[in-house]
Amino acid sequence: MEHTAQFYLGLIPLMPLIGAVVIGLMHVMTCRGDRLPNKLYAVLACVGPVVSCIMAFQVFAILRTLPVEHRILVHNAFTWFSVGELKISMGFMADPLSALMLLFVTFIGSLIHVYSIGYMADDKTFAKFFAYMNLFLGSMLILVLGDGPVVMFVGWEGVGLCSYLLISYYNEDQSNVLAGNKAFIVNRIGDLGFVLGMAFLFWGIGANNGFDYVSLRANAHLLPPAMTLVVCLLLFVGATGKSAQIPLYVWLPDAMAGPTPVSALIHAATMVTAGVYMVARFSFLYAHVPAAGEIVAWVGILTALLSAIYGMFQDDIKKVLAYSTVSQLGYMFAGVGVAAYSAGIFHVFTHAFFKALLFLGAGSVIYAMHHEQNIWKMGGLKKKLPITYLTMLVGALALSGCPPFSGFFSKDEILFSAYANGFKGIWMIGVLVAGMTAYYTFRMIFVVFWGEPKNKSAYDHAHEPPAVMTVPLIILAVGALLAGFLNFPALFGGHQLVSQWLAPSVLDHHPHAEAATEWMAMGASVAAFIIGISIAFVKFAKGVEMPVFSGFAKFAYHKFYVDELYDFLLVQPYKTIGAMIWEHFDPDVTDGPRKATAFLYGMAGSAFKVIQTGYVRMYAIYMVIGLSLISLLISQTLN
Amino acid sequence: MFEHILSSMIFLPILAGLILLLAPVPKNGSRAIGFVVSVAVLILGLKLYAGFNGAGGMEFVEKCTWIKSLGIHYTLGVDGISLLVLMAGAVLFPTIFLLFSTKTKGYYGNLLIAEGAMTGAVCAGDLILFYIFWEVMLLPIFFMIGLYGGEGKISATLKITLYTIAGSLLMLAAIIFIGVSYHTQFGVWSFDIAKMAGLRLHGSMAVLAFAGFMLAFAIKIPLFPFHTWLPDAYTEAPSAATFVLSAIMAKIGVYAVIRFVVPVFGPEFTKYALILAYAGVIGMMYCGIAAIAQKDFKRMLAFSSASHMGIIALGIFCMNVQALTGTLFQIVAHATSTGALFLFAGILEERMNTRKIADLGGIAGKAPVFAMFFAIAMLASVGLPGTSGFIGEFLIILGAIKFNVIIGVLAGTSLIIGVCYMLWMFQRVFFEKVNERTEKFRDLTSVEVFAFLPIIILIVVMGIYPQPFIKKIEPAAKIQISSLLHNMQVADLNVLERGRNQEKK
Amino acid sequence: MILNYLTLSIVLFCLGILGVISRRNVFTVFMSIELMLNAANLAFISFSRLHVSMDGHVLALMIIAVAAAEAALALAVVILLHKHKGVLDTNIFSLLKG
Repeated sequence: MEHTAQFYLGLIPLMPLIGAVVIGLMHVMTCRGDRLPNKLYAVLACVGPVVSCIMAFQVFAILRTLPVEHRILVHNAFTWFSVGELKISMGFMADPLSALMLLFVTFIGSLIHVYSIGYMADDKTFAKFFAYMNLFLGSMLILVLGDGPVVMFVGWEGVGLCSYLLISYYNEDQSNVLAGNKAFIVNRIGDLGFVLGMAFLFWGIGANNGFDYVSLRANAHLLPPAMTLVVCLLLFVGATGKSAQIPLYVWLPDAMAGPTPVSALIHAATMVTAGVYMVARFSFLYAHVPAAGEIVAWVGILTALLSAIYGMFQDDIKKVLAYSTVSQLGYMFAGVGVAAYSAGIFHVFTHAFFKALLFLGAGSVIYAMHHEQNIWKMGGLKKKLPITYLTMLVGALALSGCPPFSGFFSKDEILFSAYANGFKGIWMIGVLVAGMTAYYTFRMIFVVFWGEPKNKSAYDHAHEPPAVMTVPLIILAVGALLAGFLNFPALFGGHQLVSQWLAPSVLDHHPHAEAATEWMAMGASVAAFIIGISIAFVKFAKGVEMPVFSGFAKFAYHKFYVDELYDFLLVQPYKTIGAMIWEHFDPDVTDGPRKATAFLYGMAGSAFKVIQTGYVRMYAIYMVIGLSLISLLISQTLN
Repeated sequence: MFEHILSSMIFLPILAGLILLLAPVPKNGSRAIGFVVSVAVLILGLKLYAGFNGAGGMEFVEKCTWIKSLGIHYTLGVDGISLLVLMAGAVLFPTIFLLFSTKTKGYYGNLLIAEGAMTGAVCAGDLILFYIFWEVMLLPIFFMIGLYGGEGKISATLKITLYTIAGSLLMLAAIIFIGVSYHTQFGVWSFDIAKMAGLRLHGSMAVLAFAGFMLAFAIKIPLFPFHTWLPDAYTEAPSAATFVLSAIMAKIGVYAVIRFVVPVFGPEFTKYALILAYAGVIGMMYCGIAAIAQKDFKRMLAFSSASHMGIIALGIFCMNVQALTGTLFQIVAHATSTGALFLFAGILEERMNTRKIADLGGIAGKAPVFAMFFAIAMLASVGLPGTSGFIGEFLIILGAIKFNVIIGVLAGTSLIIGVCYMLWMFQRVFFEKVNERTEKFRDLTSVEVFAFLPIIILIVVMGIYPQPFIKKIEPAAKIQISSLLHNMQVADLNVLERGRNQEKK
Repeated sequence: MILNYLTLSIVLFCLGILGVISRRNVFTVFMSIELMLNAANLAFISFSRLHVSMDGHVLALMIIAVAAAEAALALAVVILLHKHKGVLDTNIFSLLKG
């Protein structure tokens, strides 16, 4: 049993990667002549993810049969590289944490692949899209399954690359490519933190005791506290890049330039949660330095607040969802920051369902409206797109934290843990953000689906997308509705299955609080939800025209001009320095010594130039003078 | 022939090159001869690689007396340090002959001579022999830039000539100094590099000789601030010469530091390692930032190459086995990725008649194969895991952190800097809309695909399964480092002893 | 006695130099050079006589042979120069001016 599971561990990432290579090669080889039929590619594209998904369930099942303390499966495929103390093997590890991630990544990944077959049907480079998607899924699985930081980093960078490729997928449009560049570069800034954190960790404990998670965890106490803090913060820099937290969140909203399934898979459900996964993965370090956790939690909750503010003023349906993703990611970091790792991961899990659902729903709205993304030009779509509407409504309720939808349980768990672990400020902001979330989510729902249609002709042509797109929506809606019960709180007589399952992998700090406190925290969340949704109902349910923003709203609509600020503070100076080096510093300063030498030679040359008249007679005179002088000298010495 | 496999690898191309230059060979014939000879060298190289057992010492040694009275020998040999450099040259050269079909026989002849001389410089085990090959390998490059280069070829040639000659002469002086010191210390003449490790050099003369060596190699690598010849030379040189310069010749500079400077000048090296490491890392950042301002893609790649060389050189100065192995690995990885990029740039220039980034656009749609190959080479160049670029860069950064935290952090910024200019260039050349010029761009022909395929496969294989390569180089790197550390300890002991003596007084 | 011959030789030599320096016609310059060569010949012969040795004769004969060869070459050059520019003024030929 265990042997099979280990074998699967290597195959799970390999399947989509093989799919990517096969599809990619087929595409490249046929791109000059006749293209192969899309159906062939569609089948090929789905084989990898589905097979991986089945194997993931197998691994999960096998893991469950093992005793709790032995729930770790490791498969070393081969020695990747080994230099001195550094021995890195291409190893894959399944423990409760990665198994949980594995399940929903492969499951949602497969669903989105199926959905994309419908969504991308008219695309000219259908095969290329699926090659990238498969490549992404393979990288994501390497990230999740990696048995040490270095292997994780392979997946980490791989998903970044795919994110870049897919954001700039429609690469004829400059703004899309710029968005892709931005994503890659900002992610790379985070990756610098990851690499440095890894290096410090390696020289701290990894060099003598092995550099995989099992050994690192066993030796985490050997790292001095100050060093642990540094490592934790550096790793968190990596996480802020990948998971779009302050100050590196700016790339995610722009990333919506990619096709919508990409936004659903990469920029909502899976890749962007990698940072949370990483912090939970390193919980054995964060548990030693509460200060690091506190910073993580505060950054997370402030990001949640900031992007919730942005989210309230967006007019692009995908941008609303993008900011809500950033905001929810902030919650997750708040969760793992207050040492409620299982709560954070649980929110990752539920969020993957309802946010993927919302994005795919938005995708089918956009599909139906012929690539219109402005919510103010939609309206009244409830009747035209009933399945989409109902499924999105489920997603929206889950996102806003309406009991008993999945988002309620996971979000409430985080907020309660924050409160009980003594982070009252974080809890308060969290509740506030919960209200804002309900507000902007239902603002979107009301404006898009309720009221009167704004664009009559587009409205008339709108129709429900094909089954290949609606079925994944329905499946996800069921998930969004029910996923929360997996971690049904003890308060209601549940067993908190997810928390129990994750217990061996993460070092949770379990708050001991009375039931009354828990009721109070829950009540506050529900109250915030009700207030938020009511305001949205009052303002938007009857249908309103596109508002003109002014004052603070305008400021928030322009995202507090943070992009412009970064451009002014970082991008422009960087370019200017580059130009200065190239135009002034390099030719004038660095090349100075060479130029000075050449100049001196030139000067000497022009000094001697005067006597080079070119007349033969002159040379004869020089010769006579020279010879006379030499003769004179010789005759002097002879005497 | 197979007893003298190294000599064959050196003199076969040199002789063939001379024949091409002197004999009346038709143009097509000369290309065929060049290709056949370079493939023959590649086969010999593969045989060598297969037969190399990687225990850490010199293998395939050939030695005979050359100038007896001065103890100069004709000594050749390979170890883990030189093996991959040697192989990089052998693998990459045939590509050039496949790709560029319209050149004169002098072009191919010069290339062959360069190949032979570079192999010689890498294998030489005697300082004088090394010096001769070092100079010979520069000559064809001067000719190639001067004769077949772009518009600014004359000034570029002049610049590179002045720089390298200045460095070489200082190195010659340093070699003579070492030989004389050896004679004073042991009473016999020798220039054998293996024996030089026993040499004890002291005082300011040793520092001067060290500086002479370092300067020659720093110019060749190039290390900041001696890099200014590079952008001009790389840009103006014909594609094949740029390729040879960037992919192989610059690496020989790095190799030479490891082979000649580290064993002979151990104490001086450890003393100045920090300064040199700063030069490496500053050069990386400086050239990387300058690259973003380039309007000419070849010049941008030139700056990118200079930037990478900074970090490759840094690996030597960190003095630990990770960084050194990283450098040796990166030598090959960078040779393949940057070499391929320059070849792509050459193709782009040849077909589009421009080097301006702004003139291009939309090539990805026109030529998917070309774009894919270019993207793979580019990703390797920015150090993406899964390509060859990551392993070396990661090892160097890891080693740099151990050596000095500040240098490590600065070295880490290469992750960001590289991506900035590369993506920016990729966007404007390959993405966006097609214009009249790029409308006519045709994709790679089958021959070209065939020529690039080995490089692309090598990039991917070296990223996914690098261990076989690392296994060959790691023992030699370990020996280097342990002898260096030994040197450091001796130096420390000397300082301690002197301190004690002073206390006694 | 010998002094007279040597004086004559020196005078001839100086005349030759003067001719080379002051005259602008290529032929005159050329003849002045011949004059200098012959001055040298005279000196050789004189010394030869003084030392009662044949070495000077050998050298003198050698110089005469060289001068003959040189004359052939030089005249060819002069003709080429004339063909090229049409004049024989040395001031016209100042291509080496720095």
